[in-house]
Amino acid sequence: MKRIIYSCPYVPAEWIAAHGLQPSRIIPDPTKSSAPVGPVEGLCPYVRAFLNEAIADKQAGGVIMTTVCDQMRRGFDVLVRRCKVPSFLMNVPRTWQNFAAQRLYLDELRRLGRFLVRLGGKPPTPSSLAEVMLRYDAARNSIRTSRAYLSARQYAESIAAFGQDGPTPGGKIENRKSKIEIPPGLPLAIIGGPLTKGDFDIFDVVEQFGGRIVLDATETGERGICGPFDRRRLHEDPLAEFVNAYFGGIQDASRRPNSELYQWLAHELLAPAPGRGSSAQGPRLNGPRSGPVRGIIFRRYVWCDTWHAELQRLKEWTDLPVLDIDIAGDTETERHRWQNRIRAFLETLT
Amino acid sequence: MRDTPEQITLQQWDQRYEQMQKAGIAQPSYGGRLSRHVGDGDTRLLKLRYDNSAAALRLWNFLLTEEERLREARDRGKKIVGTMKDLGTVPVMAYSLDDVVAFYPDGAWWIPCVMELNAGLLSIADSLGIDESFCPVRAMLGAFISGEHFPIPELLICSVGATCDDFSAIAQRLEELGYPILWWEIPHRREPDLGEESVKLPGGFSAPRCQVEFVKSELHRLRKALEGFTGQHLSDEKLSAGIKKANQVRRLLAQLRRLVFTARLCPMPALEMLIAEMLAIHFCSDRNETVKVLKDLLDEVKERVRAGTGLLSADAARIFWVNPVADLQVMNLLEDCGGRISGTEYLFTHALDQIPENLPPMEALAQMALADPMVGSSADRASRICAEIRMVDAEAVVISRIPGASHCALEGQIIGEIIQAELDVPVLEIEVPSLTDSIRPTLRTRLEALVEAVRQWRKR
Repeated sequence: MKRIIYSCPYVPAEWIAAHGLQPSRIIPDPTKSSAPVGPVEGLCPYVRAFLNEAIADKQAGGVIMTTVCDQMRRGFDVLVRRCKVPSFLMNVPRTWQNFAAQRLYLDELRRLGRFLVRLGGKPPTPSSLAEVMLRYDAARNSIRTSRAYLSARQYAESIAAFGQDGPTPGGKIENRKSKIEIPPGLPLAIIGGPLTKGDFDIFDVVEQFGGRIVLDATETGERGICGPFDRRRLHEDPLAEFVNAYFGGIQDASRRPNSELYQWLAHELLAPAPGRGSSAQGPRLNGPRSGPVRGIIFRRYVWCDTWHAELQRLKEWTDLPVLDIDIAGDTETERHRWQNRIRAFLETLT
Repeated sequence: MRDTPEQITLQQWDQRYEQMQKAGIAQPSYGGRLSRHVGDGDTRLLKLRYDNSAAALRLWNFLLTEEERLREARDRGKKIVGTMKDLGTVPVMAYSLDDVVAFYPDGAWWIPCVMELNAGLLSIADSLGIDESFCPVRAMLGAFISGEHFPIPELLICSVGATCDDFSAIAQRLEELGYPILWWEIPHRREPDLGEESVKLPGGFSAPRCQVEFVKSELHRLRKALEGFTGQHLSDEKLSAGIKKANQVRRLLAQLRRLVFTARLCPMPALEMLIAEMLAIHFCSDRNETVKVLKDLLDEVKERVRAGTGLLSADAARIFWVNPVADLQVMNLLEDCGGRISGTEYLFTHALDQIPENLPPMEALAQMALADPMVGSSADRASRICAEIRMVDAEAVVISRIPGASHCALEGQIIGEIIQAELDVPVLEIEVPSLTDSIRPTLRTRLEALVEAVRQWRKR
């Protein structure tokens, strides 16, 4: 089965899987030695890592990139020049409030379908598509409900593993055994773009210094999971349900306007979700008045304008302390720097 | 009053202005000594060199009085529309209405240069979390907050989608600070798929019919908004008339560019040509006056070409310049180093192409918006640059990076590779911040090296 790699959360994995191809939402590793795209002034380290991963991946049968970020859009130009694997650039609109933008997303899904057929995929029947969608939906539900049974890192890794490999047989999270003992750390949220492979250490680092991540609002975390499917609509018009669940269900800083991201954050920061503890401690948000989260780690890539511009706004929006972690590359020095910053942040909070 | 063409300082311009006054040469209402703008804080003017023609003086005075023009328009009760990012399309629509002035607040990106950072706009942007890792267009944010550089438009329209992230992020920040924005989507222009209906766009790119239809629907949304804002009906007839007027400007510019870029002796310096090209995007807030300013420039250039006069050496290296410079002085520097501009791609070639007049106006405008070189691939952009290099017979290319701009990290390399593969001409990539004083020796060395390379190339 041909493996189709991508990283953008707005690409519905089910659509690829229903064509008989294997969707794989990769988590790039910026430390890989093979790096045809070198560090360039102004280039986002994540875009660079993704390009290098995609170019080096000899097993991939196709690459999908999207226009959600301008650097990725430009990165596609590099990919098609450096890589022979068939590739597809999907237009994901930045505006979302009007029917035309939703229609554009839908049309792009159809165009993606034609690309997948050119790669050897088979157009799914409505029932086979619905079956795949239900399977993925069940797996996502299973991941969401497993939060209480997993550590923050395990939870983040289970989301990443689902994106990379799809649902496990039976749609259940394998290591779901018993409810874990919630560590006594200070509850924090992490907000930002996608993580790369080595970045999952951040969850351990937070715990090591007395905190715990209770909301993973990174692109590779909870924020990048699409909304649940409506079972009735899914059978009537599955593609329209992709629009609802993906295009309408994933909130991102790149949206114009991106007010819904803050609504989502307000809801999630307040929500007494499993593993987040109770909303006992003090008023902290301007929008929402109180919640369990005591601080926010804002993780962004240097040269990522979209997220960088949100930092100050977030600080103005919330009364919660916000720690800015800017990631420029993969150096050990940088790692020590952000570790020390997290440590100092937690010391301040406690 | 015609003299030998030369580049003169601001001080020399004042002396020359006195002579012009004595000779009874009439000035437009916004005319006057160039040096008066230094009193407004435009201190960079002291360090530039200017063409010595009356046409150039008019051009500069027209440019440097735009703020006054906008405030006067407001005082007269005209509606002011701020159009952002699309560079050329929405103003054509806005100017089709009566008593509407449209301008690009994006133009504030030159304020840090012209006022040599004294306006404090970048500090304001810094304080709002938009630091130096963003493109100098962040000065726009400071200009909105300070309210000192243009009247705040009652309606703000911004294109998003296939645009640079820095501008989009800054505009989002602006909205959050209390300046509501009407966003419209411009999708990434792609090649039509096999069997898909294709549309040939002005300028030569192609796009699938469905993308043209989508953009048309977005422009219809803007049309409704403009109608609601002004209380006027924006009919097809009005739009067609607006397109004709815009095309008049574009035709003048096309003639001007062709003559200047191909003349044996350079008849108009790079700096004045850069300013002239910029008039195309929103007519410097006065469409009729733009026509007059360009006609004057064109007459001057025609006369110089006819007389066989010009500036710079006849063997100046013929340079094609990609992207506008944040520091205007670099245009002078290129000429100091032995180069001349023989072709440009300042990000808005679609605003220089004729808008089709034989199509329904909304179709024509949609095609034009999609013809924007920045909404397509870097390879598309490079192919157009190559075609233009061939037309003007340029000998080398400078790709001028805009610091912090999201498109500049990767596109320069691709454009450079394609140009070298297709044309075998030297390509130099430089970065030009708002003020280049501290890196001037380095820039000079690099530009001189490029000119030397051109001279070597000629011997092959």
